Amino acid sequence: MTDVIDDLGHLLRAANAGDSRAYARFLQTVTPILRGIVRARSGDLGEATCEDILQDVLLAIHLKRHTWLPEAPVRPWLYAIARYKVVDAFRARGRRIVLPIEDFAEVLSADPVVDPTEATDMARMIDLLDSRSANIVRKIGLEGASIAETGTALNMTVGAVRVALHRALKQLAILRERHVK
Amino acid sequence: MNTDDLLRTLAADATPRRSLLTVLLYGLFPALGLAFIAVWVTLGLRADLIQSLSNPLSVARFLLTGGLGLVGLRLALTLGRPGGRAPLWPLAGLGLIALALLAFAYVTTPADARQMAMVGKTITVCLLSIPLLSVLPVAAILGMLRNGASTAPRLASVVAGLAGGGTAAAIYALHCTEDSPLFYITWYGLAIAIVTLVAALIGPRFLRW
Repeated sequence: MTDVIDDLGHLLRAANAGDSRAYARFLQTVTPILRGIVRARSGDLGEATCEDILQDVLLAIHLKRHTWLPEAPVRPWLYAIARYKVVDAFRARGRRIVLPIEDFAEVLSADPVVDPTEATDMARMIDLLDSRSANIVRKIGLEGASIAETGTALNMTVGAVRVALHRALKQLAILRERHVK
Repeated sequence: MNTDDLLRTLAADATPRRSLLTVLLYGLFPALGLAFIAVWVTLGLRADLIQSLSNPLSVARFLLTGGLGLVGLRLALTLGRPGGRAPLWPLAGLGLIALALLAFAYVTTPADARQMAMVGKTITVCLLSIPLLSVLPVAAILGMLRNGASTAPRLASVVAGLAGGGTAAAIYALHCTEDSPLFYITWYGLAIAIVTLVAALIGPRFLRW
């Protein structure tokens, strides 16, 4: 257990220093954990909605990853974000839930099912982006292009793609919040 | 877009972000600088500023307001992080010290001089200046909190109001010549309370994420 915690800390520290591969591994490690939390808390909301909420949580973690203090344990920080976003998702769907934070640990010991279910919200939100941002997100996300390849394809510099991608992700988070309300 | 696609997209955006402390300092230094210049240019520093520093009661104004500012900023940095829980006893401690000083001044001021000391001559300027001077510092702190991710937005907004109001009052004290705690604890306190109330009302909406 402590190995996993230390590992998450190492990965996130490297990720926050700009290491894209460490960041990918961090995200892959936390996703099943977060999926377990969302499923365990979501009652009868259904698979697709769970996956939508999970993606909300992941997007929030991404945009707020600089709020983790390098010397602090990763999990309490991670749970706090998950809890905030899950409560938010329920509120947006006209429900109220109470999530005692202690319960989270117990969910985690269960083996989370990995099932990359197609989530519907995100595709709709990407359609609402301006066309250039949407293109960048689709190239990288759906076609698996690198930043450099995307730059070549769209005739943009690497720096410009980076900036545009970051803005697009921020915009997606805003759109999602507006949309579910 | 399925979750694996999303993960790939997020991982591609791995450019390092500024820390909350950096964000705070970038916002706060210009804000405090402008507030200082505003006091200096429009109100002027008090003529006997240097001499006034030998009066402990005058220095206490800077210590209390500046202390409130520093404690508040420290707490705000904690509350800007998800799950951040801030101990409130330092704020309560400062409040108690202020009340003790008020009681001390009440006892040591002759009965017939108390009212004059408390009313002073500059209540209006004080109650207008401190809230105006605190606009930019409070905005800078709320900006840092928004860049962060507060899971206690109301409390974070209150702390932003206290910290911004405290720093603004410390800068205003460079101008103000009212050295009686009966005056400054009452009226600086009221001004900071107004700032805090406004921050608490508007902050939480601004801090959604």
